[in-house]
Amino acid sequence: MEILFFRIALAAYFVSTVGYIASLFAERVRVAKASMWVLAAAFALHTVHIAIGWMGTFSIPSANIYGSLSFIAWAVAGSYLAFQAKTKTQVLGAFVSPVVVVMMIAASAGLMDGASIPLALRGPLVSFHILLLLTGGALFALACLAGLMYLVQDRLIRGKKVSGFSRLLPSLRDLDRINHLCTVWGFPLLTFGIIAGSVWARTVWGSDWQWDPKQVFTAVSWVLYAAVVHQRVAIGWKGRKAALLSIIAFAGLLFAFIGVNAFFVTMHRF
Amino acid sequence: MSIALLGINHRSAPLSIRERLSISCGEEGKPFEELKKIPQIGEVLYLSTCNRVEVLVNMDDTDAGVEGLKAFITAHGNLSPEEMNKCLYVYRDEEAVRHLFRVTSSLDSMVMGEPQILGQVKDAYQLCVKQKASGVILNKLLHHAFRVAKRVRTETAIANNAVSVSFAAVELAKKIFGALGGKRALIVGAGEMAELAARHLMDNGVDRMIFTNRTYENAVRLANDFQGLPVEFELIDEKLGEVDIVISSTGSPDCIISEDMIAGALRRRKNRLLFLIDVAVPRDIDPAAGEIDNVYLYNIDDLQGIVDQNTQGRLKEAHKAQSIIDEEVAKFSGWYATLEVVPTIVDLKGKAEEIVKGEMERSHSWMKNLGDEERGNIEVLVNSVVNKILHDPVVGLKRESRNGGADPYVAAIKKLFRLK
Repeated sequence: MEILFFRIALAAYFVSTVGYIASLFAERVRVAKASMWVLAAAFALHTVHIAIGWMGTFSIPSANIYGSLSFIAWAVAGSYLAFQAKTKTQVLGAFVSPVVVVMMIAASAGLMDGASIPLALRGPLVSFHILLLLTGGALFALACLAGLMYLVQDRLIRGKKVSGFSRLLPSLRDLDRINHLCTVWGFPLLTFGIIAGSVWARTVWGSDWQWDPKQVFTAVSWVLYAAVVHQRVAIGWKGRKAALLSIIAFAGLLFAFIGVNAFFVTMHRF
Repeated sequence: MSIALLGINHRSAPLSIRERLSISCGEEGKPFEELKKIPQIGEVLYLSTCNRVEVLVNMDDTDAGVEGLKAFITAHGNLSPEEMNKCLYVYRDEEAVRHLFRVTSSLDSMVMGEPQILGQVKDAYQLCVKQKASGVILNKLLHHAFRVAKRVRTETAIANNAVSVSFAAVELAKKIFGALGGKRALIVGAGEMAELAARHLMDNGVDRMIFTNRTYENAVRLANDFQGLPVEFELIDEKLGEVDIVISSTGSPDCIISEDMIAGALRRRKNRLLFLIDVAVPRDIDPAAGEIDNVYLYNIDDLQGIVDQNTQGRLKEAHKAQSIIDEEVAKFSGWYATLEVVPTIVDLKGKAEEIVKGEMERSHSWMKNLGDEERGNIEVLVNSVVNKILHDPVVGLKRESRNGGADPYVAAIKKLFRLK
């Protein structure tokens, strides 16, 4: 039953992606608006899917990498829809929705095997840990996308090439604002997520820091994000440099989240 | 009955002639009075803008009517016959329709894709309606033309990019700042380009304009025109920290705004984006300032480069627009062609109705014994038989007229049914 909601949501995400990309080529706002509604519908279905899973197990369904991907996709779509309502920039959807679809497809690969969650991974602290980090990650993903678009737009305006592709991108100020808000909101989530994790690690592993590679890389990206937030809020960085640093920090976070598992042995579940 | 369009435009006639013509026809309603006096003219639309004077008519006898219109234009423009032959264009029927569609879609404009012309044609049409100078054909034709213009605008990118330097500056500002509401601009020096750009910025929501000039009185004068704020020339450095957009166009031989000034201003403004537009020759702003992060510097050549690119783009879009127009001209011609068979169809249906009416009256003597409902049913039956019989010939006539060969059929029907 819940998997059905997931599949319909995935299909709807896919349709909205196609719509958004078509709207880029056709340069029609109406198509983008329609895609936005499809995206909202997909998000609603996805919410139902997650809610059912949550009620079924009484813990969050994201205690494996597939569930997490699905949850991040949900959070990215949700935060984008919220921003869209505020900033009225339709075009970002064409960059956000493909990312959501890719994550959803990756997530669908593992949702079928309902591996039961070990006892050690139950409890509110783990749920907090996972929920905060995933939501934070979703916001950072959005910040990174806006940052990339900022760099492209900045390059085009500086290079005096403003007639073509540049028309499809939002204004520098809107992109900078999205990057700013996502980073500033993502940072406390990341921080508290790490704290929740280390408190819980103390109860399970006996100490809150094990030099686990996952912990190390997460800490590195935390420092990078701390730097971005500091530069933005205290020093008043804006625009290109802030965008660049948030992209680098996201690369670190992404590596901590997915890359580490490929290169190191980690005691982290995923 | 046929459509014709006569006129002069910026390509066919020099400004001096266009001026003479549009001034002399300037008063509202006046050209209509004179045009309606030409006996062949049934409907007439009169369009006068800075770049064109055109008369669109639906009339009976084309050749005589065109002569009458030529006389009207010659008299008003005070033109010699040679001048008129050189400047005046005359389009008939399909060509007239095509020209009108091109004009309303802004393909025939001096700046292709400019949006004003559609409004001007709409105004002209309103005046024509007010003067009761329009009828079935012109109403249909003008509404069709407005639809075509809308189609061209939405289906091609012909009006998408700015093709004047001052508009290009505004578009860039929007690319950087998004909406311009609440933004501030500093105008350094005076000059046509700077004033135009200032005007456009204000129209697009920039709500605070600061003017400065070496001659303070000039700054005050401009500030009054724009309801802005005049400041002393020495305060430029300080103001750079406060404004978002700077337009500079002084006659100064050296740079007025140095890289250091910009770098300092950026620190004071906490790196908020700054857009510098330097339209002066020689340049007012040190080009090195454009290398600073969060500063965007455009000089007059950069802006002109964008305008050139956009103009190229519009030419490409014009081809697309042209094929839309061809398609629409064909549609209109299809409708127009069916008009020649309309009188015959009306006569035919009229005759059938008369026969039905006559026969019903003749049957009155025995039908009066029937109830109301039965009489009604008989009437419905008779009418539907007649309509079914007439349906195929009517549709066939319209089809033949679209193919351009209705004449023998019209003649045959007239003869067989003994229509007038």
